[in-house]
Amino acid sequence: MDDRETKFRIFDKKRCVLLVEDEVVNQELMKLAIGDFYDVIVAESGEQALEILSAKHETLSIVLLDLNLPGISGLDVLRRIRKDPTFLRIPVIVMTADSDAEVECLTIGAIDFISKPYPRQEVILARIRRTIELSEDRVILKLTERDQLTGLYNKEFFYHYADQFDLYNKNITTDAIVLDINRFHIINDRYGKSYGDAILKHIADESLTIVNKNGGIVSRSEADTFMFYCPHVSHYNSILEALSVPLGTGENKDLRVKLRMGIYADVDKSLDIERRFDRAKMAADLVKDNFTKPIGFYDHSLHEAELLNAQLIEDFTTAIREKQFAVYYQPKFDMRGQEPILNSAEALVRWKHPTLGLVSPGLFIPLFEKNGLIQALDHYVWDEVAAQIRDWRDRIGISLPVSINVSRVDLYDPELEDKLLSIVKTHKLTNKELLLEITESAYTENAEQIVDKVRHLRELGFYIEMDDFGTGYSSLNMLSCVPIDAMKLDMLFIRNAFKGEKGAQLLEAMIHLAKSFELTTIAEGVETSEQVSSLKAMGCDVIQGYYFSRPLPAEEFEKFMIEKKGVASKSGDRNP
Amino acid sequence: MLTLEKLREYGTDVESGLTRCMQNETFYLRLVVMAVNGFSVAALGEALKEGDLDKAFEEAHKLKGVAGNLSLTPIYEPVSALTELLRRKTPGDYETLYAEILQKTKELSALAAQDADR
Repeated sequence: MDDRETKFRIFDKKRCVLLVEDEVVNQELMKLAIGDFYDVIVAESGEQALEILSAKHETLSIVLLDLNLPGISGLDVLRRIRKDPTFLRIPVIVMTADSDAEVECLTIGAIDFISKPYPRQEVILARIRRTIELSEDRVILKLTERDQLTGLYNKEFFYHYADQFDLYNKNITTDAIVLDINRFHIINDRYGKSYGDAILKHIADESLTIVNKNGGIVSRSEADTFMFYCPHVSHYNSILEALSVPLGTGENKDLRVKLRMGIYADVDKSLDIERRFDRAKMAADLVKDNFTKPIGFYDHSLHEAELLNAQLIEDFTTAIREKQFAVYYQPKFDMRGQEPILNSAEALVRWKHPTLGLVSPGLFIPLFEKNGLIQALDHYVWDEVAAQIRDWRDRIGISLPVSINVSRVDLYDPELEDKLLSIVKTHKLTNKELLLEITESAYTENAEQIVDKVRHLRELGFYIEMDDFGTGYSSLNMLSCVPIDAMKLDMLFIRNAFKGEKGAQLLEAMIHLAKSFELTTIAEGVETSEQVSSLKAMGCDVIQGYYFSRPLPAEEFEKFMIEKKGVASKSGDRNP
Repeated sequence: MLTLEKLREYGTDVESGLTRCMQNETFYLRLVVMAVNGFSVAALGEALKEGDLDKAFEEAHKLKGVAGNLSLTPIYEPVSALTELLRRKTPGDYETLYAEILQKTKELSALAAQDADR
């Protein structure tokens, strides 16, 4: 290890020593002892020493300082070296015959001593060499442990020092805090990178002021993320305010940078330091883009949710393999005739988890949408549903189209059409029997590409229902150009509609609008007979909801279908 | 010429002096001559006479450093004792110590001059 270290150092380059000594004899002896190994510059007085330091501080590796100098004393030279930031890097070894002076020299900042009369050459060389090595290592450490822009610790060293902080503050309640700048890239884009950098430096300076006052340490861990590890406080608001540095100048001088803060207060010190900051980060993400509430707190429920999510993701593959996902069916009734007629169903997935029991789709669907597992789940459900449609037709002679969910990520899959066609083919169905539900919000991003994709599916004969209508932000204008067959009014939309007159008017207007585009309207989440009759009066075509039935497991839905038998004939309709 | 033998007779710890000079005899002898010619013993005497103990300390300290590095024990010992007294400004027999330093310096000078005469 030592050999390799030596190789990495630039020790083949002779280091430069400033020898501050007024006695010629002593100069000569020292030069003789170290001259083969170091370049020696001699200063015969304190004044001369300071001059040489100013001129050559960049290349000087060490100062050997005699205390007894004419003019400015050795101690004063030492004081000036330690006070001047440009010299601070350079270590000083004091040469003295005077053991009383040693304490004072150490206090001022001497690193080591060489006694007088001089010790053996080996001792002198070893002291100089070790002192230079230590100081160079310290400089390298300083360079690597600090973020170059702000001078704060970087993440790795911060974690290390946070552990040290714990060692010396065992009984102190401590907070982990993550500070993020909202939309920092916008600041960079609007004002330029150097301005963005200035903002970061400003925040860094303020952060240092805060930790210098309250204790603790701070780092810049990523582009616009700062981390604090500090004794527990309660005035987070004032800290956030202090850190929200001014952004604008002139007229905009009141404009301040928008920050969000995640706090994991009173950390559990048995956790890894990284985990503690994961939690603070989670708390910060809670308030992302929430301009009215910039501070988020970590609490245990967040942790529970995190653990549950981790388990669900971990168990997913097994769940697919062991068919733990059950498909439930909720009937949809056509309201256009005298009597409601069962004309299709929606497939809804439930997870019968072996240890957690029935897991709500509200828990796992958003999670899987986020990490992409939803695609595998969709494929699984599609296949199950197609097999079920086939099975019902073969066994009980009922053909009922079923809506399946097509997630956003599926729409970006170039093989989506092949996948659907292959499922239809495998189970000898027609394309019209799988109704595709595509959520409204899928259309809002990358609209053109999605519209093309959906148009193609429709051309292949699939029936397209726009799901969750009323929750997204689609413009009415978009409605006119999206290639869909039916519009599904969201549950919340329905519920609100029956709360007040205006809501009801809005609902009626939507239904009329859909009709003018020749779209079938489907209302879901319908619970009461009052809602049913109103919707029917408004001209809503299809109704789904607890009023008719909750979602049922396949066996129960089969019985339900048989009860309402005679319905199968409608299956081939363009408008289920 | 000034030899190690003469220095040894004079009372010098020649071995440790040589060690500091990497066993280079010529270099050592040259430094001793340089030292003895440079010693400002008179300045020390002057300061003591005038009662300027700070100045006296500085001069003694300087002498001590050089004498020590060259292992000139006969000078080093009294000058060390004098330096310590002066550092603490303790009243003491400055005169006797100074006389000894002066005497030993003269002796060494004579040895060096002897060398120069030949």
